[in-house]
Amino acid sequence: MSKAILCACEDVTREEVRRAFALGHRDLESVKRYTGFGTGPCQGKACLGLVARELVGLGATPAEAAPFTVRPPTAPTPLAALASADPASLPPGPGVPPEPSPSAAPRPSLPLPARARVVVVGGGIMGLGLAWQLARRGEADVVVLERSYLNAGASGRNGGGVRAQWSTPTMIRLARRSLELCGRFASEMGINVWFRRGGYLFLAPDARQAARLERAAAVQARCGLRTRVVAPREARDIVPQLDASRFVAASWNPDDGVVFPWPFLWGYAARAAALGARVLTFTRVVGLEARGRRIAAVVTDRGRIAADVVVNACGAWSREVAALAGVALPNRPVRHEILVTEPLKPWLDPLVSVLGTGLYFSQSLRGEMVGGIGDPEEPEGLATGSTLRFLARFARALAAVAPVAAGLKVVRQWAGSYDVTPDNNPILGAAGYDNFLQLSGFVGHGFMMAPAVTELMADWMGGGKPDEIFERFTLARFAGGGAVREDFIIG
Amino acid sequence: MPRLADPRFAPDCEIRFDGRRVPARAGESVASALVAAGLVLVARSAKYHRPRGPFCLAGSCGSCQVRVDGLPNLPACATPCRDGLRVETQNTLGRAGWDLLAAIDRLAPHGIDHHHLVTWNRWANRVAVAASRRLAGLGRLGDRAPPPWPPAAEERFEALVAGAGPAGLGAALALARAGRRVLVAERGPRAGGRLRCRLDLPGDPPPSWIDEAAAAVRAAGGEVATGAAVLGLWRDGGSPLAGVAAQGAQPRLRLIRAPAVVVACGAHAEPPVFEGNDLPGIFGARGLLAALAEDGVLPGERVAVLGPEPEAEAAAARLRQAGAGAVRVPGPVRRARGRRRVAGLDLEGGARIACDAVAVAGRGLPAAELARQAGGSLEVDATGGFRLRTGPAGEAAPGVWAAGEAAGPCTAREAAEAGRRAGEAAARV
Repeated sequence: MSKAILCACEDVTREEVRRAFALGHRDLESVKRYTGFGTGPCQGKACLGLVARELVGLGATPAEAAPFTVRPPTAPTPLAALASADPASLPPGPGVPPEPSPSAAPRPSLPLPARARVVVVGGGIMGLGLAWQLARRGEADVVVLERSYLNAGASGRNGGGVRAQWSTPTMIRLARRSLELCGRFASEMGINVWFRRGGYLFLAPDARQAARLERAAAVQARCGLRTRVVAPREARDIVPQLDASRFVAASWNPDDGVVFPWPFLWGYAARAAALGARVLTFTRVVGLEARGRRIAAVVTDRGRIAADVVVNACGAWSREVAALAGVALPNRPVRHEILVTEPLKPWLDPLVSVLGTGLYFSQSLRGEMVGGIGDPEEPEGLATGSTLRFLARFARALAAVAPVAAGLKVVRQWAGSYDVTPDNNPILGAAGYDNFLQLSGFVGHGFMMAPAVTELMADWMGGGKPDEIFERFTLARFAGGGAVREDFIIG
Repeated sequence: MPRLADPRFAPDCEIRFDGRRVPARAGESVASALVAAGLVLVARSAKYHRPRGPFCLAGSCGSCQVRVDGLPNLPACATPCRDGLRVETQNTLGRAGWDLLAAIDRLAPHGIDHHHLVTWNRWANRVAVAASRRLAGLGRLGDRAPPPWPPAAEERFEALVAGAGPAGLGAALALARAGRRVLVAERGPRAGGRLRCRLDLPGDPPPSWIDEAAAAVRAAGGEVATGAAVLGLWRDGGSPLAGVAAQGAQPRLRLIRAPAVVVACGAHAEPPVFEGNDLPGIFGARGLLAALAEDGVLPGERVAVLGPEPEAEAAAARLRQAGAGAVRVPGPVRRARGRRRVAGLDLEGGARIACDAVAVAGRGLPAAELARQAGGSLEVDATGGFRLRTGPAGEAAPGVWAAGEAAGPCTAREAAEAGRRAGEAAARV
């Protein structure tokens, strides 16, 4: 009984909060993610004040102890209740809460250096993975600039799915390599990412979608994957809660899996830093200084860093950042909403996804169901608010395929931005300037691609033989008409 | 003497807790019935399997989750009793009182660093991940698919007041007097908020004021809905849209569109911070006193009362008046003693207090979620206390006002007054 519990839902002790603070997780959003406090069924009602007071006592500033973003619903709400709202009467909108007005920010993690050989803009999984890959190849003079805390962007907001079931050999190859790296991440990087190969089960609601599954499965078979197209009855053996009358076929790959996204960033950042790279949080890029055919320096809200190479790894913000140098990217940010339910004992092994609606759901290692659904009416924009429309659409789609899951109670909804390109494929390599490298445009699947892509990118930046992706996924392909559209985007 | 002998509080039905028969009053919370039966250990915690029981007794904190009639993770303190209700503990290997997995708590006195648990070898890590998955989660998936809820239709009111405590009723009264048709949505089973505790502090509005306010709302064409939690204040369609879960024989979702919203949800009870602060038998004083006033529930024979004046002394006086021993805790607490239920408090300086229950009075966290969803911001002061940033009448965001403890600590009288100001401002929309 020697523990003092600050968050009773998730059993977070005072000692754990103190340890997180000592490790550099000083702001409440970071402490929430590192300790898990405030993520349980009560959503911080009992613990938010206790943790804030503890942080203030440890020396946190008021900006660091400011409460984490409030997320609907205010109480655990059965999906069956939300399914009773008609999404057709709820037009798409920016959602809640509104973007906060800029106020005092938490303290940055490190002082700003005057120069660095490589400056990576964006401290998501792409930027941090690249920093580590460069550092382990001996290029340790790398600075990563993150405008907020680690995991504030799409890398900290996604559902954690990692699958090899893609429709082109290139994407299948990258995803397989990522799956392999995920399996080694904990032992190589020294931090758990809770990688679990529960498989991916794609459901086809009609013959047209079934044909799409068949085509993709054939490509996957040629690439050596264990994907099989199965009948609804067999899909029910894998997930007994499914209503087999709601789909005509399914494709099943037992080697796909899910991870817990946040520790990837902490792991990459810590290992890169141990090798000499510098990760600067709460540092916003406000300008790019060009000189001739090169970017000479990156200008931040804290000052300027001269750079030999600048990498744009800002996900949905990549277009804005490239525009600072006058480079026009075709990327479009599109919000994608997601939710998490109360924690339950294991009941769902694979990630299940329904082609057509873009519904997906899986069970995290903490027992929560995590899920989302695409919205064809979602407009372009950087909004990350939450809507009742999404909850209603998700609840209806889920109740249709897995009726018992409609009893699950939603504890939190949030949103992130997909970084969408015209052909659903990434944009890699130099654009506009010889030393301005793009690492963006992963259309909601950057997280799962990052371990493999950052490895290839570091090889290429180090002068190695370029992988075909750096020839195929250039910005110039859109001008030349060489773009081939990826068909297996979910959501 | 766990329940007052007063015939008004006589049990009239029976629920089952892990197979055991427990007398109950129909409509009171499952937590009330269990506490009255001396059963305070009703759950095990998520990670360390520590003994847990009801704390807030108000549906906020999540420490009393049980399986009810085959449905997992329901708060015992917000689930009403009816005859034959089947209540079970969750997340145990054994029973709630004898959970073998409680060994985790003893084997890891400094907690488990889950980020770095078994990362030294890839294959060992796989085993650890598989084991962790089996240990994670609280309840098991529900036994059955839920029946569909009736279609939710959008309803229009001139104002929505979330919460029917002194602030919410003050706002509703002002709105009703201005002729506004208002919906007052209260998540608890009764109106009154902290007035339900019957502390009767100087300046508190009298109990009759609750009924007067409700009557005024109805006279103006409005409605006071209890068992109606406001789940969120979304903006789908461009203006504030509240989702309200209306409990009852046929639960339904109400979608409320109102140009003016007053957030008067009070404050969430906060646990005290010391070792063993999560032991069963430690309660928020307000939830406890409401259960005492309405269902005659006494938490124990000797209750240690923590917290600031005047609420703590008034709480102790109410408990004594009901026949329990109540002692004020004179100084800071170092730790709570007890294994399955609190047995005493060790104070800084060495003094000990023997008790079988603890009541924690005092301020809580502003329940400002709805105001924050609308764009309001909670600010932290130098001591780590929170207060919502508001204008003079409680404006927290366009079309949204906050009043009472939802904005920051205040007395019931101040809350009613703040509610009136917010209501008058909202009536001008």
